Amino acid sequence: MDLHSIATLTVLLLQQMCVYLVVAYALSRTRLFIPLTRASIRWPHRIACYVIFSAFCIMGTMLGLPVVSGNAIANTPAIGAVLGGLLGGPVVGVAVGITGGIHRYSLGGSFGLAAAIDIVMQGLIGGLVHRYLIRRGKTRLLFSPLLAGGLTFLTILIELGIDLALSRPFDEALGIVKLIALPELLANTAGAAVFVKILLDRRDSIEQQSRAFSAKALDIAAHVDGVLREGFDQENSTRVARIIYEQTGVGAVAITDREKILAFIGMGADHHLPGTPITSPQTLHAINCNEVIFADGNEVPYQCSISPHCKLGSSLVIPLVGEGKQVIGTIKLYEPKTRIFSTINRTLGEGIAKLLSSQILDGRYERQKNLLIQSELKLLHAQVNPHFLFNTLNTIIAVTHDDVGKARELLTDLAVFLRKNLKRPTEDVMLSEEIEHITAYLGIQLVRFADRLSVEIDIPEPLLSVRVPAFTLQPLIENAIKHGTSQIISPGHIRISARQEGSVILLEVEDNAGRYDPKPGGGGLGMNIVDRRIKNRHGESFGVTMTCEANVSTRATVRIPLEAAS
Amino acid sequence: MITALIVDDEPFARQALRRTLEPAADIRILGECGNAIEALGRIHADKPDVVFLDIQMPQITGIEMLGMLDPDTMPHIVFLTAYDEYAVQAFEKNAFDYLLKPVTADRLEQTLRRLRNSLCRQDFSVLPEASRLRQIPCFSQQAVVFIKLDEVEYVESRTTGIYVSDLEGHERMTTLRLNILQQRTALLRCHRQYLVNIDLVHKLRYLESGLAEFVTRRGRAIPISRRLLPEIKERLGIM
Repeated sequence: MDLHSIATLTVLLLQQMCVYLVVAYALSRTRLFIPLTRASIRWPHRIACYVIFSAFCIMGTMLGLPVVSGNAIANTPAIGAVLGGLLGGPVVGVAVGITGGIHRYSLGGSFGLAAAIDIVMQGLIGGLVHRYLIRRGKTRLLFSPLLAGGLTFLTILIELGIDLALSRPFDEALGIVKLIALPELLANTAGAAVFVKILLDRRDSIEQQSRAFSAKALDIAAHVDGVLREGFDQENSTRVARIIYEQTGVGAVAITDREKILAFIGMGADHHLPGTPITSPQTLHAINCNEVIFADGNEVPYQCSISPHCKLGSSLVIPLVGEGKQVIGTIKLYEPKTRIFSTINRTLGEGIAKLLSSQILDGRYERQKNLLIQSELKLLHAQVNPHFLFNTLNTIIAVTHDDVGKARELLTDLAVFLRKNLKRPTEDVMLSEEIEHITAYLGIQLVRFADRLSVEIDIPEPLLSVRVPAFTLQPLIENAIKHGTSQIISPGHIRISARQEGSVILLEVEDNAGRYDPKPGGGGLGMNIVDRRIKNRHGESFGVTMTCEANVSTRATVRIPLEAAS
Repeated sequence: MITALIVDDEPFARQALRRTLEPAADIRILGECGNAIEALGRIHADKPDVVFLDIQMPQITGIEMLGMLDPDTMPHIVFLTAYDEYAVQAFEKNAFDYLLKPVTADRLEQTLRRLRNSLCRQDFSVLPEASRLRQIPCFSQQAVVFIKLDEVEYVESRTTGIYVSDLEGHERMTTLRLNILQQRTALLRCHRQYLVNIDLVHKLRYLESGLAEFVTRRGRAIPISRRLLPEIKERLGIM
């Protein structure tokens, strides 16, 4: 029992430790280790923890060095048990301990029972420390190499004590303990510390990778946002392709519709020309079958369909899907022959395609909606109520007899009204122009309903210059007369007012008929278009609201944001 | 001499028509009305030969007003409209006389010629609004009061006239005859002298000698005639 044999054993055990750690390192590069990088309370993770650390525990025993004719083994199962407990909790720790203990006991020797108990003890201590740290909220400490090393050191000391207490004859046990104490303390402590360090590194690298990936994905998403909404054409596609090319760093990026290349940025741009028809069989297949096609140039051969000298060696083709799952084009990522197509770029590519697809769809939907509203609006403009027109002419004919001046006024009003109706910009106008339109209209109506209608317009001077969507007030006033005041026998009164509430402009048209019918479509086509157009442009919190007190009053209130109006 | 009434809610429209009618020496304009309610009273009182009737008017349209007139004393009706494709089509098909505003002298002369030749009876039953009543006009000295059908509890015919009772128990006289009301409303004929609003009936009470009566929610008893009882029971699903 000399110093020399202790030193030799130490070196040998450290060598075995190296083998042990190499296995640990190798495994840490696989997905197997991912659950170990988190202190998780979820059972699937705990079970993974149990299985892996049991395996390491058994490996620690097997890589051990038998001493004193196999009665004892200088070994390192402590690492598996302590770490199993430390990372998986008391239950996992004890389970690993029992598994490792049974294995050790089956190998026999005079130290067999003591060694088995040692392993269970180590698992339990690891688990208790786990619980203690979690309760104190010091989860980060679980992955401290120092703590793992120190804890293992402590459990080895206890282990040696148990060995001395349980193994007989005591003299032999003491001899063995003297021999293995230093090697086991050194190897286990260092092993546990390095093992945790490996886990820590692995965790950092996973986080860095996913952080880099998310950052890239978010960056691309932010940059391409809204570009294709304006239309899926060459110009917008080129902008998007350039962004993807710059952000992903792939060899080249192309975007096609169903027939031709819309954009091509990067290597090979000299012969992949935008505007030319698609020739690549992969792309045609992707379009026809709505499938992602990946030709890595290795297992799946890839050759540029245009030029044999093309430097591109692999390509990923992802269909862009529009309405009704119809393929409307593709996005293609290329890498040159000298580079390998990274998995990250593959995943990114598919994500980008999804993003672009939904954008194109959104854009189309939006444009169609706008077109619809525009055409409805045109219809509304052109549509002069024939009743109004002929009744007006009839009135003018009657007035002409007695009051030529009045007839002239009426004709002027009619001319202004018709001109505004026939030739109106579809965008914003000043509130004063809107008032001009309704003044002409009301000028006629006041004569027609002479004794039965009065109108009050109350618009503060400063608000006359705010901008409002054209053709907002007239339909509401037409409604107030047609469905309101013209339906009652007593005199009708209409009040038109405007006011500002914070950043909101409120326009109100109120009549004293109270005849509004709240059933759908009751407000008339004109009012619905006014409402939908405002909501479409400024959001659901704006638009037209109707309030009605039956037989007393009906009020139409238009809400428009001031910032959009000025 | 043909007596005429002009009914239009726009004063200048009335004036325009009056001027166009002036040259016709055999037309005497009895007056002008601005709405159907006034017009009903005027027609009732003055019995004009012809009514120039605007269709679009407040509260009660011209066509609705027709349903409130007694067919036996119905004046000849010439519709006035500025523009109404549907109505014009319906009128053309049934050869009703109608004038488009502004009215030209030639077109009006054509109408007057037809009027002079024959003041024949017009049948408006093809116009749905004219054959279904929404409300019953009741005449008092000063005004015409309209009672909505769902507010009518029952209608009773007495020797002094036809009386409409409403939910509050007010009784008002109408010039519409019981059989016209029976035809143009959902009121149920339960007796030679009574129409009842079946929606307001609380119970059917059997009396001695096989007779029965309705009791309304207000507790008013309405007699049911022996002759009509089986028919009413069948209609109400009482076996």
